[in-house]
Amino acid sequence: MAQLTAPAHVAPPVRRGEVNRVTARIRSTPGRLVVVMLVLLLVGLLAGTAWVIGSAQRSSAAGGARTGGGRLAVQAQELYRALSDADATAAIAFLSSGVEPADLRNRYQSDISAATAALAAVANGGASDKAAIQQISAQLPVYTGLVETARSYNRQGYPVGSAYLREASGLMRGQLLPAAQRLYDRETTGLQEERDDAASLPWLALLLGIGLIAGLIRAQLRLSQQTNRTFNAGLLAATLVAVVVVLWNGIGWAVVAAHLGAANRDGSRQVELLAKARIAALNARGDEALTLVARGSGASFEQDYAVQLGTLVSGDKRSGLLDRARAAATDGAVRASVDAAISDVNAWLAVHKKLRAADDGGDFPGAVKLAIGAETDSAATIFNRLDGVLAEAIRATSAVSDTRGAEAAGAFGGQTGGGVLLTIVLLAGIGVGYQQRIAEYR
Amino acid sequence: MTTTRMRVTRALAGAVLLSLLAACAATTDKTTAPAPSFAPAQPVGVKNPAEIPSAAAGSQNNCDVRHSSLRPASGNPASGPTLSAIKSRGRLVVGVDQNTYLFGYRDPASGQIVGFDVDILREVAFDLFGDRNAIQFTAITSAQRIPAILNKQVDLVAETMTITCDRLQQVDFSSVYFEAGQRVLVPKDSTATGIADLGGKTVCAADGSTSIRNIATAASKPVPVSVPDWTDCLVLLQQGQVAAISTDDTILQGLAAQDPNVKLVGDKFTDEPYGIAVNKNANDLLRFVNRTLERIRSDGTWQAIYTKQLQAAAPSPPPAGYRD
Repeated sequence: MAQLTAPAHVAPPVRRGEVNRVTARIRSTPGRLVVVMLVLLLVGLLAGTAWVIGSAQRSSAAGGARTGGGRLAVQAQELYRALSDADATAAIAFLSSGVEPADLRNRYQSDISAATAALAAVANGGASDKAAIQQISAQLPVYTGLVETARSYNRQGYPVGSAYLREASGLMRGQLLPAAQRLYDRETTGLQEERDDAASLPWLALLLGIGLIAGLIRAQLRLSQQTNRTFNAGLLAATLVAVVVVLWNGIGWAVVAAHLGAANRDGSRQVELLAKARIAALNARGDEALTLVARGSGASFEQDYAVQLGTLVSGDKRSGLLDRARAAATDGAVRASVDAAISDVNAWLAVHKKLRAADDGGDFPGAVKLAIGAETDSAATIFNRLDGVLAEAIRATSAVSDTRGAEAAGAFGGQTGGGVLLTIVLLAGIGVGYQQRIAEYR
Repeated sequence: MTTTRMRVTRALAGAVLLSLLAACAATTDKTTAPAPSFAPAQPVGVKNPAEIPSAAAGSQNNCDVRHSSLRPASGNPASGPTLSAIKSRGRLVVGVDQNTYLFGYRDPASGQIVGFDVDILREVAFDLFGDRNAIQFTAITSAQRIPAILNKQVDLVAETMTITCDRLQQVDFSSVYFEAGQRVLVPKDSTATGIADLGGKTVCAADGSTSIRNIATAASKPVPVSVPDWTDCLVLLQQGQVAAISTDDTILQGLAAQDPNVKLVGDKFTDEPYGIAVNKNANDLLRFVNRTLERIRSDGTWQAIYTKQLQAAAPSPPPAGYRD
């Protein structure tokens, strides 16, 4: 309006006649009808666009387009696990007298290749923490180099080998693992943010839709007053389509939010607890071995062992990671796995106590046997069982998270295509409905 | 004919390869951003510059370290409260190093701690129990030697430990069982000929050792860098992170034996008489240890241990000296 009147002040009087003519035509009945039609068409177009674009965006978010459906988070977790396991395995291999056992050597090798593969997957998947990826890429070869140096010195019987192993472990724990942790945290948060985006209420599309319905009803009441016809077929069809659009939007949102809520409750939230628990167990295993390797300067490792196991199971049976995972478990099999893990942790604590008593009592070979022996009650056996149980529980809950996420993405199915189609029908209804009325005045 | 063709093909292949390489080099130069640099890996617990053990305040130099111990008992040698407690326990508990090659280290092949210090302690166990294996080893670092004695974690510590007036304030020492002196270990290609040439350069020693203090107080003012274990110093030297290692010649010989690319330089610039540390409240044990040392000096055991562990002709053992 301001734009229309502003030039009118400076415009020559010849033009004023034209402006008056336009205003007069708008004020005439057919003119008014055209304006109302244009407004309704505009609102309809906006509502349809908001719906189509919004559902496309939220569908891709629910499917985890940005984070690959949490696959990046899984890879980042695998990276951390492999690195941490390599650290623990290298230390344990060092404990065995003479040449390290072949199975420990193999386990270390497969940890390093698993870490490299996971690092490549995270890098190619477009992980957001580029600095962490760069750091791990740069320092992992340095780490493996130090471990190999430690090995060759150890084979020659030189004590400088264990100094190289301690340096390698310091690099792993001080630099590599914190970088992998940052990577994992970023990807986990990323997935959660995406799901929150997908589950948010599509308020713009809903508001426009409801406004459109109100406008259409009001326009039809006016028309039926002005003419003798009670119904206008085009506008009635448009109204029905608008109602369908609003309902589809609203119900679709509720279904998606329910699926994503389930994905979090039955899946990703449990995955997070279990993954943290597995990592704490791995760190504790490394601590146990390094206390024996470092001997003399191992007190800090022993303290860290107690801290790590304390985060797994706490005395109050509520605040430990496994206690919380047990409370959060929604699946019987997962709960059974967590129960098994808790009893393994307690068994491990008992063996560890015996192991420390042996080592502190000067029985180093006895302590090493308890730490790495193949007996059913050795720390190695218990830890491997614990790690296996946790891995299985993580796999099961990750699968649930993925399925529910995919279901949520599926709930958007047809919304984009259907949205385009319904918007066209809606706009056509409005256009046809008014075109008939306007034609009557010609 | 065939050879000519092969030669031509080879030359062509070489030219193609070279141009490809050149292209690669050119593209890398253009496209790669400067690689981020990360700090080199270091031994855990490295301190650069090192914290120097409290030497200034209440420092004691007015004592005779070679005459600070107690004479072996003349009567029943194995009587006394500490000795009877050890006897009823059934084994001697000792603190040793597991990372000092030749003196106290874990043999990777057998998993056992072995070395010169270890063999001397086994002789004490032999005199007490008639069994050189009635002994339990606790691996401790240099910095833990005095605390381990004070809190009675161990009965004795034999870990390349120099008798000093400061240490005599806290613990007792046996008579001198080994004479060492501080020297310098550098890479083979180093031009340094002693501590005097290392001004402003980084020099490594173990945390809590007398060596780290000697480096800090050297006239040439080197930069002392400390690590928990002696082998950590060798790691730093091999990685080019320090210019030299300076400590007792005994320890340096052990490090040099693990790497043919290093050399010992300069004369001994300190006297480091080694003693076995004992709690101040265990005079009966102290006298008993000195009795064992008297025996191995005179019956050839000391020389035999020297030859076996240090793989060199044994000199005559250091003479005993007592304050009483």
